Amino acid sequence: MISLTMDGRQVEVQDGQTLLDAAKLLGIEIPTLCHHKAVPPAGACRVCVVEITGGGRPGLVPACAYPAQNGLVIDTHSKAVRNSRRLTLSLLLSRSPETEALQALAKEYGAEPVFAATREPHAEAQGGPGVSSKCILCGLCVRVCAEVIGPSATCFAGRGRGREISTPYKQLSHVCIGCGACAFICPTGAIDPAEFCSHPIEQISNEFNCGYDVRTPIHIPFPQAVPNKPLIDRDNCIHFKTGGCGACKTLCPAGAIDYEMADEIVEEKVGAVIVATGYQLLDPSIYEEYGYGRYPDVVTSLEFERMVSASGPTEGELRRPSNGQPPKTIVFLQCIGSREEQTAGGKPYCSKICCMYTAKHAILYKHKVHDGQAFIFYMDIRSAGKNYEEFVRRVVKEKNATYLRGRVSKVFPRGDKLIVMGADTLSGGQVEIAAEMVVLAPALLPSAGVRDLAQKLRIGYDQHGFLSEAHPKLKPVETNTAGVFLAGCAHSPKDIPDTVAQASAAASKALGLITHSRLTREPTIGIVNQATCNGCFECQPVCAYGAIGPREIRDRRGNLLATVAHINEGLCQGCGACAVTCRSKSIEVQGFRDDQLYAEINAIGPSAPLVATLPSGRNGNGSEK
Amino acid sequence: MAVATRLTSPQDLAEFREYLRSERDEKATCLAICAGTGCRANGSMELLEELRRQLDAEGLTGVDVRATGCHGFCEKGPLVVIHPQEIFYQGVQISDIPAIIEQTLRKGEVVDSLLYRDPVTKKKCRIEGEVPFYAKQQRIVFRHNGTVDPTSIDDYIAAGGYAALPKALLEMTPEGVIDQITKSGLRGRGGGGFPTGKKWAICRAQPGDEKYIICNGDEGDPGAFMDRSIMEGDPHAVIEGMVIGAYAIGAHQGYLYVRAEYPLAVANLQVAIEQSHELGLLGDDILGSSFSFSVEIVRGAGAFVCGEETALIASIMGDIGSPRQRPPYPAQAGLWGLPTNINNVETWANVPVILERGADWFASIGTERSKGTKVFSLVGKVQNTGLVEVPMGTTLREIVFDIGGGIQKKRKLKAVQTGGPSGGCIPEALIDLPVDFEKLAEVGAMMGSGGLIVMDERTCMVDVARYFLAFLADESCGKCTPCREGVDQMHQILTRITEGKGREGDIERLEELAAYVKGSSLCMLGGTAPNPVLSTLRYFRDEYEAHIRDRKCPAGVCKALVRFRIEAEACKACGLCKRDCPSNAIAGEKKQPHVIDSAKCVQCGVCYEACPFDAVVTS
Repeated sequence: MISLTMDGRQVEVQDGQTLLDAAKLLGIEIPTLCHHKAVPPAGACRVCVVEITGGGRPGLVPACAYPAQNGLVIDTHSKAVRNSRRLTLSLLLSRSPETEALQALAKEYGAEPVFAATREPHAEAQGGPGVSSKCILCGLCVRVCAEVIGPSATCFAGRGRGREISTPYKQLSHVCIGCGACAFICPTGAIDPAEFCSHPIEQISNEFNCGYDVRTPIHIPFPQAVPNKPLIDRDNCIHFKTGGCGACKTLCPAGAIDYEMADEIVEEKVGAVIVATGYQLLDPSIYEEYGYGRYPDVVTSLEFERMVSASGPTEGELRRPSNGQPPKTIVFLQCIGSREEQTAGGKPYCSKICCMYTAKHAILYKHKVHDGQAFIFYMDIRSAGKNYEEFVRRVVKEKNATYLRGRVSKVFPRGDKLIVMGADTLSGGQVEIAAEMVVLAPALLPSAGVRDLAQKLRIGYDQHGFLSEAHPKLKPVETNTAGVFLAGCAHSPKDIPDTVAQASAAASKALGLITHSRLTREPTIGIVNQATCNGCFECQPVCAYGAIGPREIRDRRGNLLATVAHINEGLCQGCGACAVTCRSKSIEVQGFRDDQLYAEINAIGPSAPLVATLPSGRNGNGSEK
Repeated sequence: MAVATRLTSPQDLAEFREYLRSERDEKATCLAICAGTGCRANGSMELLEELRRQLDAEGLTGVDVRATGCHGFCEKGPLVVIHPQEIFYQGVQISDIPAIIEQTLRKGEVVDSLLYRDPVTKKKCRIEGEVPFYAKQQRIVFRHNGTVDPTSIDDYIAAGGYAALPKALLEMTPEGVIDQITKSGLRGRGGGGFPTGKKWAICRAQPGDEKYIICNGDEGDPGAFMDRSIMEGDPHAVIEGMVIGAYAIGAHQGYLYVRAEYPLAVANLQVAIEQSHELGLLGDDILGSSFSFSVEIVRGAGAFVCGEETALIASIMGDIGSPRQRPPYPAQAGLWGLPTNINNVETWANVPVILERGADWFASIGTERSKGTKVFSLVGKVQNTGLVEVPMGTTLREIVFDIGGGIQKKRKLKAVQTGGPSGGCIPEALIDLPVDFEKLAEVGAMMGSGGLIVMDERTCMVDVARYFLAFLADESCGKCTPCREGVDQMHQILTRITEGKGREGDIERLEELAAYVKGSSLCMLGGTAPNPVLSTLRYFRDEYEAHIRDRKCPAGVCKALVRFRIEAEACKACGLCKRDCPSNAIAGEKKQPHVIDSAKCVQCGVCYEACPFDAVVTS
């Protein structure tokens, strides 16, 4: 351990640590510009200079790079230190006055850009990849690319006043992997790897923010994710593509990155399944008249939701995608794709949630753009929940939005605005609004792939793909297949309170199923006569509920005598399809056996008695022929 | 040249030396022609070829014509010294060869026109020892320059070279060698002046088996060429010093970092290394001592900053030539992070002679804290420019006047600038200053690597500061803010001042920037960059003020501030100025006072230099 004195206070640090480490331990703030914990220190910017006043050669040394030594006496804010920092910042400001990162620090030290400009490129320094004038030549980008990532794609070019950041030989780099570490570590935002890379850098669209910003391959998928930990998108991760980089693993202080982790397929035997696969939105580009996909300022309600979210691409500031300005006029269009059948892809049902969320969006919009105007084109306002109607009324009353009853026929651009042409049926006229943003409320659809899942689970779905409940009134959370329950928008469009209610019900039903030691069920199920069953298993594929499986018959010594069909009493719904299919008549549904049915028929009238013939020679009533 | 067989013991070497000496007749005539870069530029190699040819033609085959290292009196090259008489001929041309052959070689008479004429006594100097330029020098580092062919290891050994090597390797311990060097008081000759023995001891004390030694041959100071002449003229002295140093420190690999602009030095060092290897004086098991050492040449690439040790190390490793923060110092963590000892060329060249003749002998030369000799490159407005080696403690007056022959054109000495761009100016008033590390630092100058620029009254001190700062701004590596930005800012201010655009507050701004750059720079390039400004401000502040306030350049140098005028009473209408004027700006009939047309005049100062009657004045 090394012991030294800083600003009159004693501190102990490890061998190899710097004066900056000592300051951190003492909670002393020393400003830095060219220092970053991810890369080795350079001691280049000289902003972090501190004064050695005793215990060593007196003078100013850079705290980030000077190793701690026993007995040093350091003053971190002496007059000499402050004066040096002031001049360093003044010189940097004179060189790059527009660099925001310098401003706050400069103010603190009384630095002003009083010096003549020095940035005078050498003749050779002209042309080639470069950075903006905000660059303060801290060299962090060079160090991170060389020491952490590896390719050394960026480097210093020229020397002295002509020094600048570029690539070796000032040519577009073939070794740059477009990882963006340089942009990440740059304190002033001066570097853009796209300028250096010889191949186009494709940034990864952030799916959660509907493509309005980008994300890194290692990312936390969305705010408040459970677990709230990053995952690696292997398709885009440089390490998985090339074997290089590995910066995340190097930098993670917890050593938590494991590239060998793989997806596992877990098989569990369960007694109940709750299907809550949610929804997706209709793609409104099928309605070319609204211009979605053509005009950047026409967005969907979900995209709008992300834009106004504090965790979204613009941190909650509502900006027009076309020019980044707040939209002063916004038009919401309801029922895009809902309640209509004329267009291929349109849905006849009401998507239920849009009227309410649009009212909410109108209020949010007014919060963000106080002097903005919102218009809502609607057919009917469906606000049937608790306090829902009052909420919509409030929107109208507080002038958060003007409701126009009518459809919009067309959205087209004029200048930098979008003209929304619609009808106002209550006043009987046409309306033309010059909007700066148009928000479409698309129809709700079941999630993609739900039909395949339903087939695997052997549950039903309707023509739209919404999963079918066993009974619309009396069994809203069960399916026709025992043990499989439904919740949420997989079943039908609904909002959060309804989803929670339905999910609670499904959960209760499932619990009800599995918390008993014995399962109670209706007795009208199929039974296989194992003596007569010959194991052809024609019945198995016919069962819609997957209730039929093999059962091995073994003798006392364990030898296999026969494999016959067996009906799972829990799953069988008593439909009788297997009974009809079985060629040896070995399956009968309890309570609806052939002989029982014949007995019922015979009891009606005097014609020739029907006798069921069983292949074994027994009568339908089980008696011998 | 003798057949080269590997020498495997000190006895082998001693016998080889005996053999070589027996083969050479000390009394035989030898013409030593300076083949250093300076005299080569003056045609010394053509002279040598022609001389050989003519001697052959004349049948004088017994005469040895030898190309030697730089003899130092560069002002008077090409130099030819005839041994054993030590006859010293200067400014020899091809046309002089017949006279030399006829008169000197055949008849034993001197060719009067080729002798040096002492300006004080007005007498001709026959032998080298009489020439004042040499008389006052003590040539230890340059002991072989002028007598030994640098491309012949045989010459070096016959002259007594490689005598220290077996002594160190086989009769002394590494600690013993360090002890001798420490006792001798040898201090780094590259500018830092750090005690060499102490540096070696620190490096030796570092843990680990892998260590390196480096010879810093980057010599970047403008006008300095001491190390060049050592590397070109006596490469074996450097190599021998390095082997001894490596033994003392425990290193087995060395690097000779030579600036790319010294191709002759690189070539001669390469030849020397190969020859040493052949004889087994480099490589494995040197002279049977079981100590192995080899050395590699690494060339620089045009950066002054690579003379700084950490930047030099970075350059050898293939990294960008920028210095890094110290500590740790190279002695602890240098090349590839391993203990590395770097010394300057002149320092290494001193090592063999210290071991040969003893630490006490070396310590008897020089001053109390600066021992031995120092080679200076004496340049500027002095009569005798060249390389001068004097004991530490010699006064500036002796160097400039006794050795240097005083100021050209009978002008007055104004100042002497030492230490190159890191150094400072010493005014005429301090001319009796004895030259050593401490004394120079006291007056705000610096020994540096040994540059000594003599300035007369026609030197503008502001322009001198501007010149050095222009050099440093260009050479700054650009890594740290104070040097990259501050030096350039100072340069811009000085440029403005010399252009007549100086402002009130400029001097204060210069002083503020100077203190900042000096105190906050990462390496000593920036750390010493303000010295030219600070020392000229210290002694010549009035010149700065004249430039700024009066818009005048007292020395008549800064073109924007100078007007040349012909004083009619003094003008004798000789027409020299008119003839020499490059812009035809001077008009005048015969016998009429001439006049300068200020519209055409470009302030080049040629008329001022040409006028024998001092009729051209500045205003």
